[in-house]
Amino acid sequence: MSILPTTRRTATPTSQRLGHRAGEVIDRSRTVSFTWNGRPLSGHPGDTIASALAAAGERVLSRSYKYHRPRGLLTADYLDPGAFFQVGDEPNVRGAHRLLEAGMAVSSQNTWPSLRFDLKAANGLAGRFLATGFYYKTFIKPEPLWPLYEKVLRTFVHAGAITPDPGAAYYDKRHAHPDVVVAGGGPAGMAAAVAAARAGASVMLVEEDHQLGGHLRWGDGAALARLRALRAQVAAQPGIEVLTDAVVTGRFDDNWIPIVARSLPGITERLVKARAAVLVVAPGLIERPYVFAGNDLPGVMLSTAARRLVNLYAVRPGSRAVVMSANPEGDAAVADLEAAGVEVAAVLDARRQQGVARAHGRGGLRAVETTDGRRIEADLLVTATGWTAPTSLLNQSGDRPVYDQAAARFVPDPDRMPANVLAAGGIVGDGTVDQLVEQADAVGREAARRATGGSAAGTVPGLRPAPHPELFAAGTGGFVDLCEDVSAKDITTAVAEGYDSVELAKRYTTVTMGPTQGKLETVNAVALVAHATGRSIAETGTTTWRPVYAPVTLGALAGRPREPVRYSPMQPWHERHGATPLVAGQWIRPEHYGDPAAEVTAVRTAVGIIDVTPIGKLDLRGPDVAELLNLLYVNKWSKLGVGRVRYGVMCADDGVVLDDGVTGRLGEDHYLMSTTSSGAATVWEWVENWLQTAHPEWQVHVTPVTTAYASINIAGPRSRDLLSRLTDPEDVDLSADAFGYMNVRTGTVAGVADCVLWRIGFTGELSYEIHVPASYGLHAWERLVAEGADLGVRPFGVEAQRILRLEKGHAIVAQDTDGLTQGFSAALDGLIKLDKDDFVGLPELRWQQGRDSHPRLVGLQPLDGTVVPPEASQILRTDGSIAGRVTSSRMSPTLGRAIGLAQIDPELAEVGTRVTVRLPDGRDVAAEVTGLVHVDPEGERQRV
Amino acid sequence: MSGGNGNGRPEKLRGYSAWSLLRRGLTHEDWPRAWREHELRSSYDAVIIGGGVHGLATAYYLARDHGMRNIAVLEKAYVGGGGSGRNTAILRSNYLTPEGVRFYDRSVKLYEHLAADLNFNVMFSQRGHLTLAHNDASLRTMHWRTEVNKLQDVDSEVIGPDRIAELVPYLDVSDETRYPILGALYHPPGGIVRHDAVVWGYARGADVHGAHIHQQTEVTGIDVSGGRVTGVQTNRGRIATPVVLNATAGWSSLISDMAGVAMPVQTSPLQAAVTEPVRPFLDTVVVSGTLHVYVSQTDRGELVFGASVDPFASYSMRGSLEFTEGIAGHVLELMPALHRMRLLRQWSGLCDMTPDYSPIMGPTPVEGFYVDVGWGTYGFKAGPVSGEAMAACLATGKPPEIISSFGLDRFLSGRLVGEKGAAAVGH
Repeated sequence: MSILPTTRRTATPTSQRLGHRAGEVIDRSRTVSFTWNGRPLSGHPGDTIASALAAAGERVLSRSYKYHRPRGLLTADYLDPGAFFQVGDEPNVRGAHRLLEAGMAVSSQNTWPSLRFDLKAANGLAGRFLATGFYYKTFIKPEPLWPLYEKVLRTFVHAGAITPDPGAAYYDKRHAHPDVVVAGGGPAGMAAAVAAARAGASVMLVEEDHQLGGHLRWGDGAALARLRALRAQVAAQPGIEVLTDAVVTGRFDDNWIPIVARSLPGITERLVKARAAVLVVAPGLIERPYVFAGNDLPGVMLSTAARRLVNLYAVRPGSRAVVMSANPEGDAAVADLEAAGVEVAAVLDARRQQGVARAHGRGGLRAVETTDGRRIEADLLVTATGWTAPTSLLNQSGDRPVYDQAAARFVPDPDRMPANVLAAGGIVGDGTVDQLVEQADAVGREAARRATGGSAAGTVPGLRPAPHPELFAAGTGGFVDLCEDVSAKDITTAVAEGYDSVELAKRYTTVTMGPTQGKLETVNAVALVAHATGRSIAETGTTTWRPVYAPVTLGALAGRPREPVRYSPMQPWHERHGATPLVAGQWIRPEHYGDPAAEVTAVRTAVGIIDVTPIGKLDLRGPDVAELLNLLYVNKWSKLGVGRVRYGVMCADDGVVLDDGVTGRLGEDHYLMSTTSSGAATVWEWVENWLQTAHPEWQVHVTPVTTAYASINIAGPRSRDLLSRLTDPEDVDLSADAFGYMNVRTGTVAGVADCVLWRIGFTGELSYEIHVPASYGLHAWERLVAEGADLGVRPFGVEAQRILRLEKGHAIVAQDTDGLTQGFSAALDGLIKLDKDDFVGLPELRWQQGRDSHPRLVGLQPLDGTVVPPEASQILRTDGSIAGRVTSSRMSPTLGRAIGLAQIDPELAEVGTRVTVRLPDGRDVAAEVTGLVHVDPEGERQRV
Repeated sequence: MSGGNGNGRPEKLRGYSAWSLLRRGLTHEDWPRAWREHELRSSYDAVIIGGGVHGLATAYYLARDHGMRNIAVLEKAYVGGGGSGRNTAILRSNYLTPEGVRFYDRSVKLYEHLAADLNFNVMFSQRGHLTLAHNDASLRTMHWRTEVNKLQDVDSEVIGPDRIAELVPYLDVSDETRYPILGALYHPPGGIVRHDAVVWGYARGADVHGAHIHQQTEVTGIDVSGGRVTGVQTNRGRIATPVVLNATAGWSSLISDMAGVAMPVQTSPLQAAVTEPVRPFLDTVVVSGTLHVYVSQTDRGELVFGASVDPFASYSMRGSLEFTEGIAGHVLELMPALHRMRLLRQWSGLCDMTPDYSPIMGPTPVEGFYVDVGWGTYGFKAGPVSGEAMAACLATGKPPEIISSFGLDRFLSGRLVGEKGAAAVGH
C-alpha cells in the first residue's frame, strides 16, 4: 500500500456541492468555518463534519487501524468507520453524524506525520506477515524484549486522544415514565407513535438521526411528500415527545430503557432513564457492506451513503460511478446519481448474477473489475447488496433472531419476545411505505392497549421479509471489518487454525469488536465462518448483541451527583464551630474541634457530646426478631427484656467478625438495632439476605432508619445532670435505679417526642445515647450545648472518641479486627456462646476455640511512653519473623503515655510479655503486653 | 510436585516465531490447526470438565509432566467462553495470607514465562498494579499487606499521592475529591494479560501433548458406583473414566451435584465493561476498593472496567444499567478527564463464591472425583498454578503441598484460609 501521498499533488480538491435538492437539510444562506488538519474549510449549517469535507472534495478522511490504509466514507451515518475524528480535545467523534459547528478543529486520528503521508502505511507492505493473530505467534523470545515490543504495539492504537484537562462539560439525567417508548423515528416509528398516542398512550419517540423520517428523508418526491405528512401527524398529535439525535442504548428488565440524548442546548449528553410499559422497536434496517478486494478504497460506499450525500447534503459523491444493486434501493441510487450529474458507467444487477469482483486504486478508487471480467474506470462504486436487522434491543429482551435464507438476513422471532416489547417496520419485514405504516399503525395501537392495561395480549400483524439474494463476499478478499482491519482472509485463516466458531473467530481476529460493534460486520463475519466451515449460516449462528446498543459517554452514565455526601442535621453547627471535617465512608463528620486531647479531658472530667448520627440503625419488628438476633449475633438474645439493651457481635460464616453494635428492645415485638457507621449498609444487606434466603418463614420487618434519627452521645460524669435538664422525670426517669446501665427508654427530649435513649458506654464514662427524629437533631444538639454551659459541656469529634475508646480498650471492627479475625481473636471469649443451638459462624468459632492457636487481641504499652508506634507497625519475634501488629495506637491524655491495641500470636499474648515493635521507619522499640483496658479496668465510671 | 521442566524432559512446543511468520507470509502456506478435533472416545484415563484456563492448563501439565495422554477436556460451548473469557485479565500476587501469597506468586511466576513455555504470546504486560487508599483504614491495611508481602519476597510498597500522580497522571490526587486518595499499594509485578491467548495457548499445548479437546460437549451426568467415579454422561454419549475433574465455574455446584458432592458455593454475577479505544495514557492497573472499581488500558487502547460481584446470588449473565452508571461515576471520580470516553460494551460472568474467598481444590468423598472450583473473582490469576497443582493431584491422587490448605475438607475441620481482605475487590 502506498505510503506516498494518496492523491496526486496536482489534484487539488474542488467543491462537490450540487445545486438545490428537494430534501436537503443544509442552510445555504449561512456558512460555517472550521479547520481540517489545520486547513480552513467551510460548510453550511446542517452539514455533518463528513458531508462538509465531502462537499469540499476531501475523499480520504482517515487511515485504517493496522495497515493505515486510506479510508473514505462508507455509510455516511453514525456508524461510518471511515469518519472517526478528533475534534478539539474530543476523541472518536462520529464525523458522519456530528453536525458541523463554527470553529471546530477537526483532525484525522493516529496519522503521522500527516493523513496524506502516513509512515505507518508501511505496515501495508508487511500485510502478508501481519495476518490475523500474528502477535500471538511472535515476540515470544527473547522474553526480556517483550516489554519493548509491547510499547511499539501500543503506538498502533487506532483512536483519538484524550487530554488531562478537557475543560468543562455538563451532563445530566432525567427519569421518564412514558407508556410507550418507540425506538426509531422512521416511517414505522412515526406511524407507531401516532397510533399509540391517538389511542391514549403517552409516547416517547426516539430517533438517532437529527431529524425524523428515516429512509424517507433521502427518497424521491413521493417519499418526501409522505415524510411531510407523517411529520405533520407527529407534530399535531398530543402525547408524543420527540427526541432526535437520541438513541435507545439498551433494554433491561421490565423495560428499563436508557436513552442517550445529544444536541440539547447547554448539555453535552443526557441520559434519559425511561420506565416504559411497552417498548416498540422500529430501527429499520442497516445496509450491509459487501466484501471484495479493494472494498475499503475511498470511493467505495453503500447505496444509502450515496443517497444521503446527494439528497440530504447536496454532495456529489463521485464523477463516474459503478453501481452494484440487488434491490430497489440500489436502483434508486442509480437514479439519484444520474440526477446529480454523476456519470453511471455501469449498473451491475446482482439479481442477474452480475457483480463486483475487485476494486482497484491507490488511495482512491480508480477502476472496478466485474465478475464477468470487465474493467470499468470509476471513482465511485456504490453497493446495494442487502440489509441487516439491528436486533440488539430485541436480543436484550430475550429474543433470538433466526436466519431467513430467502431474505438473506436474520429476522426477529416474534414467539420469543416478551409481551411488553413489540417490533415494527423494516426490522420485521419489507413492504411499501404504505405497508410499513399500516403494520406500524397496528403495532402502535396494540402497544397503547397493552400499556394502558388492556386485556390479554392481542396479536400484531407481521411483515414478510422480501426475497433477496444472499450476497456477503465476492471471494476475492477484502475487508470484513473496516474498524479493525480484519480481512476475509483473516476469518478463513482463523477457522483453518481451529478458531472455527463465530465466538472464537471473533476473539481471535477481533472482528466486530470495534466501535461499530458489529452492526455492519457481524452477518458478513458469520457468513464467512459458515463458508469456511462448510456449515450453514443458520447453524453457525450469530454472536451475542450485548448492551450498550450505541456508545455512551462516561459523563452521561455518571450524570451529575456522582458521589452523594451524607451529613447529619447538626453539620452546619459543626462547621460554624470550627470542626475539621473527616471523610468517613459516605459521611462527612467532625474529626475534632481544634483540640482532641482537651475534648477527651472534658469527657473524663465533665461532659461531652458527640454527633454519632452515622451509626447504622435498623428498626426491627415482628414476632421472630429474637430468632433473627440469635442467628446473627454470637451471643444470646432470647431473654432480653423490654427496656433492655445488649451489646452484640456478628460473625460471618467463616467466623470472622463482621460488625458490632447494641440492640435494644423497645417493645414486645419491636427492636432497634445499631451497627457500626461503616457497616450500616452491609449489615442491612446481611440481615435481609438471611431473612430472604434462609428464613423466609420468619416474620420480621426490617426498616433502615439511620438517617431518620439524629444520634448524639452524651458522655461524662455530668451527662446525667445535662440530660435531666432536657427531660421530664415523669416521662423518662434518669436516676440510676430507674434507668440503669444497658437500658433503653423512649420519651421526650428537649421537647421532641419519640426519642430513643439508651444508656451505654463506649467511652467508659456514664453516657447516654439519644436518637432524636432527624429534623429535630440540630435543635436537640443546640439545647444540649446551651443547657450544659455551666456543666462544662464540650462537643467532641471522632478523634477524641477513638482515644476514649482506646483508653477503655474497646476494639473497632475492621481496625482492630480484619478480614481474617475470627471471634476469639477479637477478645470476645466471654460473649461468644458456643452452647447456642446455632448462629452464623458457630462451627468455625468452635473449631477456633478448640485449636486454641489463634492470635489474640491485647493491650500494648511501649516502655518509652513518649513513643507512639504507628498503626500497622509489626511486632517481631526474636528471629525477626512477624508475630503480630499494632492495630490501634494513640497518646492517652488521661494517662499521659502511649497506649495501643495489638493482634499478637498466642505465645506472646500473656500480660506482661515484652515484645519488639518494628516501626515503619525501621527502628525497633520495646513494648509490654497489657490488658485491653488502659483506663478504669473495673468499669466503675460508667455504672454510676 | 513435578515442576515445569522436570526430569521427564517433555517435548518443547514450537512452531510460532517471527521466522515462521515470515516464511508463511512469503509462501502463503496455511498455519496448522492450533488444536485438533477428535472423535469422542468411549473411555479416557481422565476427563476434565470445563474448557477454560483451569481445565486446559490441568490437561496440559497432566499430559506434559505426568505422561497421562489419554485424557479429554469437555467444554459445553467453546474454549474460554466462560469465566476465562469474561474476566478483566488482571494478574497480581500481593495477597494477605502466607498461603495466598505463595500460591498466587507461583502463578505470576508461571505467567512470566508462559509465552515461551507455550510458544504462544499471551502478552503478559507487567505494567504495575496500584490499589488506592481513600481512608486511614485501607492505608493501614496496605501497610500491613506490604509487610507481609516483603517477608514473602513479593514486591509491594505503599506510595504517596505524588508518586501516584507520576505513575498515573490522569488520577485526581488532589484533596478536592469526594474520596481523596491518601496513598496506594504499589505492586510492580502485577499487570494484565491477553486472557483468550492464555486459553488458546494451553489448548494448543494440551493438544500437542496428546489431550483431546471436545467443544460443544456438555456433561449431563456423572456415574458413581460404589463410592467411586466410573464415567460421565454427555450430550454426545457416555465416556467411561476412573478420574473426573470438575474445573467449571458458574455451574460448579451443579456439576458436583451430579456426583453427589455438595459444594459450599454461592454463585453471583460480576459485571465488566469496556470503552472505545483512545491513545494509550494509562500504564498501570488502578484499583479502588472504596469505589468498587478497577481500570486498565489494553494494548488496543480500550479501557476495561470491573466492579465487585453483584450483591445477590444469580445465574443470570445479563448486565444492568445500575452497574454502568455506577462504574462510570466511580471512574470519573478517579479520573475526571475521561468524561468524553464512551462505554462500548458490557458483560458479566459468574463467580462461585466460597465462605472464605479461597478456592476448593483436591479430592472429594467420591473416589476419583476431584474439584478445582470456587474461584470467585480470582480464578484467572490462578490458572497456571492451579493447572500445575491439579495435574499433580490427578496423577498421584493426592493434593500437592501448595494447595493442601484449599481442600474441601476444610469446611468440615474449620481451617478456612480467609482471603476476603485481599480478594474482595482487590483486582
